Amino acid sequence: MFNLDRKLMTTGIVLAFSSSLLYGGFFGGTDAPSVPGTYVSTMGSVDGGVVYPRKDGVTGPYRYSEQSTAGINHGRVPTANEIEAWDKDIMPDGTGLPEGEGSVDEGDELYEKQCASCHGDFGAGGRGYPTLTGGNQDRLPNGVIKTLTNQRTVPGLDAPKRTIGTYWPKASTLIWYIRDAMPYAHPKSLTNNEIYALTAYLLAQNYIVIDGEEMDGDYVLNREKFLKIKMPNEDGFYPNIDGPDGVENVRAFFADRAKNIGAGTRCMKDCKDPGMDGKEAVVMRIANEITDVVPAYSVVRDLLPEEDDGVVSKAEKMYNTSCKLCHGTDQMGAPMVGDVAMWRKVMEKGFGKVVHNAIDGIGGMPPKGGYEDFTNSEVQMIVEFMIESSSEKH
Amino acid sequence: MDKTLKKEEMNSISRRDFFKKTASVSAVAAAALLSPSAVLAGDDENIIHHTKWGTTLGDELNKFPYGLPSKYEHSVVRRTSSLMSSAGDMHAAVSMCPIHEIQGIIVPNGLHFTRTHNGVAQVDPNKFRLMIHGLVDKPIVLTLDELKKYPSESRIHFLECPSNGAGEWKGPQFNSLQFVKGMMSASEWTGVRLKTILDELGLKPTAKWMLAEGSDGSEMGRSVPVEKVLDDAMLVWGQNGEALRPEQGYPVRLLLPGWEANLCVKWLKRLEFSDKPWYAKEETSKYTVLTASGKAIQHFYALEVNSIITSPCPEKPWDDLIQGDMVEIEGLAWSGHGTITNVDISLDGGKNWIEANLKGLVLPKAWTRFSYMYKYEGKPLLLSSRAVDDSKNVQPTVNQEKAVIGVEGVYHRNSICTWEVTAKGEVHNVQLRS
Repeated sequence: MFNLDRKLMTTGIVLAFSSSLLYGGFFGGTDAPSVPGTYVSTMGSVDGGVVYPRKDGVTGPYRYSEQSTAGINHGRVPTANEIEAWDKDIMPDGTGLPEGEGSVDEGDELYEKQCASCHGDFGAGGRGYPTLTGGNQDRLPNGVIKTLTNQRTVPGLDAPKRTIGTYWPKASTLIWYIRDAMPYAHPKSLTNNEIYALTAYLLAQNYIVIDGEEMDGDYVLNREKFLKIKMPNEDGFYPNIDGPDGVENVRAFFADRAKNIGAGTRCMKDCKDPGMDGKEAVVMRIANEITDVVPAYSVVRDLLPEEDDGVVSKAEKMYNTSCKLCHGTDQMGAPMVGDVAMWRKVMEKGFGKVVHNAIDGIGGMPPKGGYEDFTNSEVQMIVEFMIESSSEKH
Repeated sequence: MDKTLKKEEMNSISRRDFFKKTASVSAVAAAALLSPSAVLAGDDENIIHHTKWGTTLGDELNKFPYGLPSKYEHSVVRRTSSLMSSAGDMHAAVSMCPIHEIQGIIVPNGLHFTRTHNGVAQVDPNKFRLMIHGLVDKPIVLTLDELKKYPSESRIHFLECPSNGAGEWKGPQFNSLQFVKGMMSASEWTGVRLKTILDELGLKPTAKWMLAEGSDGSEMGRSVPVEKVLDDAMLVWGQNGEALRPEQGYPVRLLLPGWEANLCVKWLKRLEFSDKPWYAKEETSKYTVLTASGKAIQHFYALEVNSIITSPCPEKPWDDLIQGDMVEIEGLAWSGHGTITNVDISLDGGKNWIEANLKGLVLPKAWTRFSYMYKYEGKPLLLSSRAVDDSKNVQPTVNQEKAVIGVEGVYHRNSICTWEVTAKGEVHNVQLRS
C-alpha cells in the first residue's frame, strides 16, 4: 500500500530487538527492573498478570510508608441484628436462602403487575429490557446447550439465547437478584413469599424440572424444593471456581492465555496474520453505522446560543424521576408523553377520570405508579404536566 | 477611571457597579482602537485586531466557586446511545468518555465514563456505613469519617468496562473513537489499602473469596479472590484530588487495579468473606464470556493488554494536512496485567510494524501514552497499534482473538484496532479480518 520509511523501519527493528533482550532478561531473573519504566514484578497472579511486590518501602513505581499500622482500631463491631439486616445474599448451597413459599400462579399474577411492563409477557422480552425466557434447551451430543453455540458470523443469524433456562448456572442468583434488585423501580419491596412465587413462575416459564417434577400452575416452591434445583446450564462455565481448588483453577486457566483467551505475537516485518491460516485479511468497513448518539457528534468550539435558564417545575422533576421510565417511551404500553394523538385519546375519558386512574392504577400501572408516598394532589400535578407536555401547542 | 467622581458618589455605588461602569468605559476606548492598522492580504485579522477579551474586563474570579471548563469546550462531553441501554432508559446504561479530547493519562472527573445498573445513587455521606464481616475474627462497621482515618495511599489506574468495544465483535459499527473505546477512563485514586484494614480484623485462613456489595438499587455484587484483596485492592474515596463523583460511587468504591470496572463496586456497602464464591447476577448471567464452543469463561478478571490510536481518529482526522507535513501519531496503551513495555505501529494493515515511543509516566495498570512522528504523504493508510506488557502479553489481531472466543463473547475484546486513513485524510473505523 505504501513504502515504509526504510531507515525508520530499521530503527524500529533494532529497538524492538534490544528491548526484547532486556525483556527476556527481566523474565529470566526475578527481581531486576528491566526496560525503563517497568518495575520489579513477578509472574503468577491469579488473573494471569504480574504482581508488584511490596518491599523496602517500594511497590512498582510507588513509595509507601513502612511504619506499622498494627493496633489501628477505627469503627466498631456491628450488632448481630445489624449483620442480619444487611447479610441478605443467597448462595448456591442455600446460605442465606429464606423460608417462604409461593406458587407458579401467584408468581404469574405478580409478574403481570410488577415485571411484564419491562420484561415482556411471559418473560419473552421485546420491550428493550432483558429477555428471561424462550431459549431452547436442546443439547449437542457433548452436552452443550445448542442455542449457545449460535455465532452471528454473518448478518441474519440467530443470537445465542442467554436466558435463565439456557444460560444461568444457579437458581440462587435469580431469587437473590429478585429480592435485592427487583422490581427495577422499587427494589427490595417484595416479601419472601413473593420472591418464591416470582422465582417459581420464571423457572416454570423456563421449563425447569425440580426433582423430576414439572412446574405447573399449582406448583408451590419453597426452601426445601429450591435446594433441589439443578439449572440446565450449570456445567456451561469454566474454569471451575468451586471447591478448595477454585482459585487455583482460575490461576491455571489464565496462565495459558494464548490458548484460553487469545494472545498476539510480536512479528515486526512481512507479517502474516496468524489468525488467517495464510490467507489475506480483508478490510471490513462499517456496514450500517450507528449514529444514534446523544449529544450528537461534534468537535466544534463555537459558542452555544444563550440558553433559557428553564426553571424545571416540581411536577416535571417528579415526572422525570418517577414516571418517565414508562411514560417517556412508546415501548412500555404506557401513553408516551409528547404523543399528541395518544393523549387526545386518553383525555376522551375526561381529566377527572385520568387523574383517578393515575391514583388508583390502571392496566400495568400500579396505584400512583408505585410511588405510594405521593399525595393525590402531587399525582394530579404530574398528570397536568404530562397532559400539558403532550398538547398540540406544546 | 473617571477622576471627576466625588468621594460620596464613590461610596454610593457598589463595587460591582463601579467595575461595570469602568468596563463599559474601557469598551468604548477599545472600540476606538479596534483597527490600529489595516488588514492586508495574507494577514490574519485575529492578529491585526485587538481581541474582545483583551480589551474588556474578564469575569470576576469568584464567578464560579467550583470552576467550569471554558464555554467553548461544550462538545467535550460524555455521550450515550440508546442502543447501549434498555429501551433508551438511562438508569441502566453506559456513557462514553470523550477519549478523543482527553490529554495525558488522567480523565477529568466530570468526563469519566459511567455505567450504572439502577441509576446513579445519591448516597448521604452521613448515613454511609461500611460493614466487613464473614470469615474474620472481628467484624466491623465504619462510618465515612472512620474509614478516612486509615492511612491513605494514592494510585493512578485506568478503569475499563469489559464491554469496551463489545459492539465490534461482528464488525465495526461506530465511526467514532469515543464509541469504539470510550468505556474507560483513568484517575488518581486515593483510599486505604484493604489489607491495612484486614490485618487488624484477622482474616480466617478459610477465607478464599470476598463479596463486594453496593448500596444502590441493584445492590451490585461481585465475588473477588482474597489473593487480589490482599495484593493491591483499595477502598477509595478520592478521585483526582477530590471526593469520588456520584457516578463513580460516592462516597466509597472498591478499586481492584487492572480488573473489570464492574468488579470495582461503587456506592460500597458491605464486604463479606467466605470459603465459596457467590454466583452474583453480574458474574453469571452477565460478565461471562460465551465462546463459540457454547461454554462461557467465568471469573475473567483483568483487562488484557490493549491500545488505540487517538490521533488521528474519526473525530480528529488528517483532512487539514498537506503532503510533507510532519505529524504525530499518538495513542493510549493499557494493560490490567501489568505495565506497558512496547507499542508498535503499523501503517500497512499489520504487515510491517515500527516501534513507537512511550512518553510521560509509564505506570502499572495505567494509561500509557505512545507517540510516533510520521511524514504525511497524502496516501491511503491502514493505521494500527499493538501493545505489549511486562506479563509478556501481546495484543492479538481480530482473527487471533476470534479464533479462540468466536464473535459472541461480548466482554474482554482487546484485539488490534485499525483506522483507515483515506487519501483525503478522513479517518474511518475498519477491521482486518477473515
